[in-house]
Amino acid sequence: MTDPVLSVENLSLRYRVPGGSLQVLRDVSLSVQPGEVLGIAGESGCGKSTLAAAMIDLTGANAERTAGTIRLSGRDILSLGQADRRRMRGRDVAMVFQDPMTAFSPVLTMGSQLVDFQCNLDGVSRREKSDRARAMLARVGLSDPDLAMTRFPHELSGGMRQRAAIAAALLMRPAVLIADEPTTALDVTMEAQIIHLLRELQADYGCAIVIVTHHLGVIAELCDRVAVMYAGQVVEEAPVDALYHDPRHPYTRALLACDPARIEEHTGRLPAIGGRLPDLTAPPPGCAFAPRCPLASDRCRTLPPPRVTIGPGRAALCHEVAP
Amino acid sequence: MTPLLSIAGICVDLQSGGWLSPGGGARVNILSDISLDLAGGETLGLVGESGSGKTTLARAVLGLQPTSAGTIRFKGADLCGPADFHAIRRSTALMFQDAAASLSPRMTVGQAVIEPFAIHHESVADRRAKAAELLAEVGLPPEMAARFPHELSGGQARRVGVARALALKPALVIADEPTAGLDVSVQAEILNLMADLKDRHGLSYLIITHNLALVRHVADRIAVLYLGRLVETGPTRQIFAAPRHPYTRSLIAAEPKPDPRRRRRDLAIKGEIPSILRRPQGCEFHTRCPVAKDICRSAAPALQALGPGHSVRCHFPETHDKGG
Repeated sequence: MTDPVLSVENLSLRYRVPGGSLQVLRDVSLSVQPGEVLGIAGESGCGKSTLAAAMIDLTGANAERTAGTIRLSGRDILSLGQADRRRMRGRDVAMVFQDPMTAFSPVLTMGSQLVDFQCNLDGVSRREKSDRARAMLARVGLSDPDLAMTRFPHELSGGMRQRAAIAAALLMRPAVLIADEPTTALDVTMEAQIIHLLRELQADYGCAIVIVTHHLGVIAELCDRVAVMYAGQVVEEAPVDALYHDPRHPYTRALLACDPARIEEHTGRLPAIGGRLPDLTAPPPGCAFAPRCPLASDRCRTLPPPRVTIGPGRAALCHEVAP
Repeated sequence: MTPLLSIAGICVDLQSGGWLSPGGGARVNILSDISLDLAGGETLGLVGESGSGKTTLARAVLGLQPTSAGTIRFKGADLCGPADFHAIRRSTALMFQDAAASLSPRMTVGQAVIEPFAIHHESVADRRAKAAELLAEVGLPPEMAARFPHELSGGQARRVGVARALALKPALVIADEPTAGLDVSVQAEILNLMADLKDRHGLSYLIITHNLALVRHVADRIAVLYLGRLVETGPTRQIFAAPRHPYTRSLIAAEPKPDPRRRRRDLAIKGEIPSILRRPQGCEFHTRCPVAKDICRSAAPALQALGPGHSVRCHFPETHDKGG
């Protein structure tokens, strides 16, 4: 197996909040192979966006890392100086956000922003940078890149803005592209086109992609491997086919069961996961999913669940799962 | 049987731009000749992409959007003036897309769910008990009445929206994207709650959404809008099994399937919905349609009936016969 291009090792992170701290990531380990598409799935509040932000060291000022390392091509990014970290972002790892409107400055044209994003590219003239930007806009499917270069972000449609955001992220040919809910703000028809585009770009440029989404359909369409998160932990990790056809963690099973897109017949009623997410200011001593889990025993409520390796590339954080 | 709600030939036109913008003042056709019926106890799903006019139609039904043609009948009575619409708003309710933003940040949940009575000048003997009763109906504990909207989770804010909608015991609930922004497990809870309330109170729902997986489960019939025109309407089961309009078929095919073994190889639909300011000639969909022919570029197709309750606006409706 080759060395991973990005690896997160035993990362724990908490947010300082009034009256305590929120343990948003608890001992998370994940790795991304070169050219691989990894999906991070989970519901709101499970820590998936925090994990994505941590991968590019963009967590907020109230975030505090309590343990763990993040390595990008073998280098520990958290030990880098401020200037090196800035150079790393955009060049080695780039990010696409959910809302492309807020990812761009509203007061500059798309063209000038796309040129500025290449500030780390030495020895290239502004004209060449502008040509590169135009070529990339054409590559992501904007029908009139010359016109788009002169437009302000608000003059583009949502789908075009998201395409431009993907173009911006790929300008520096990063080794890893992190996309946080890249299709959530879009219509289904545009979502399908963006998925298609990401798949093509991955094949062309060979960059690894990390997709963070709550949409299980997007992950099934796009990813090679999936990590399912719950309450700040990766509870199951598996190749995409195995995860959808043989889910092992009770949370993964419950999550798949309540997706209406998986149930073909008209039922009128849908399965739901009862109960609530645990309070992350004081995470439970045992398994975080135990209060909502149909299989939970006393052991689950008191002891932290072990990480059980089920097969090659498959693991689940559960007392009850058989290896 | 008279339908609960009957919309016939509704058109909505708006003035484009301001007097400063070039070409401003032109009439833009937002909704064109929409006719729909909704029976008592029925759930109708209104689907389409952003900008197709779904929300405008819902607003027109409640008199919140002036119409330029057409009639709206509720329980058999024509609605034509502000007084009529005030009356229809007594027996209909709207659930807004952004539930948290639809609640006043300065009112507690208890005040918010009681507010509909004040709006319609109805006295409530015991406000606290009424609030608790409404909250219980949507599965929220009575303590919730003292909370402010910013203290609620997305799912709780949705439930408060449902409680507010149900306060006056409406016959029709219009739900605009009832589960947008919710996680799948919470989405299921809200849909189940809406299904329970429908059974208990005999409600009719008009559900506006772009989530096809959702309408497949909750709607009895669906109506598909494209650029302000009704392109297909029919029973849900029939439309999903055999969509007749190429747009409906593309929408269904565009939905990502949560199964990696059924990945799509190519795109069902390309491009974006055209701007309503530059409405295409002929059939609106011809710019993206995989089967468009010359006639589609010049002549607009009429809505044609294909079977009981199933109609389609297309020159070449798809046939699903074998070998066809």
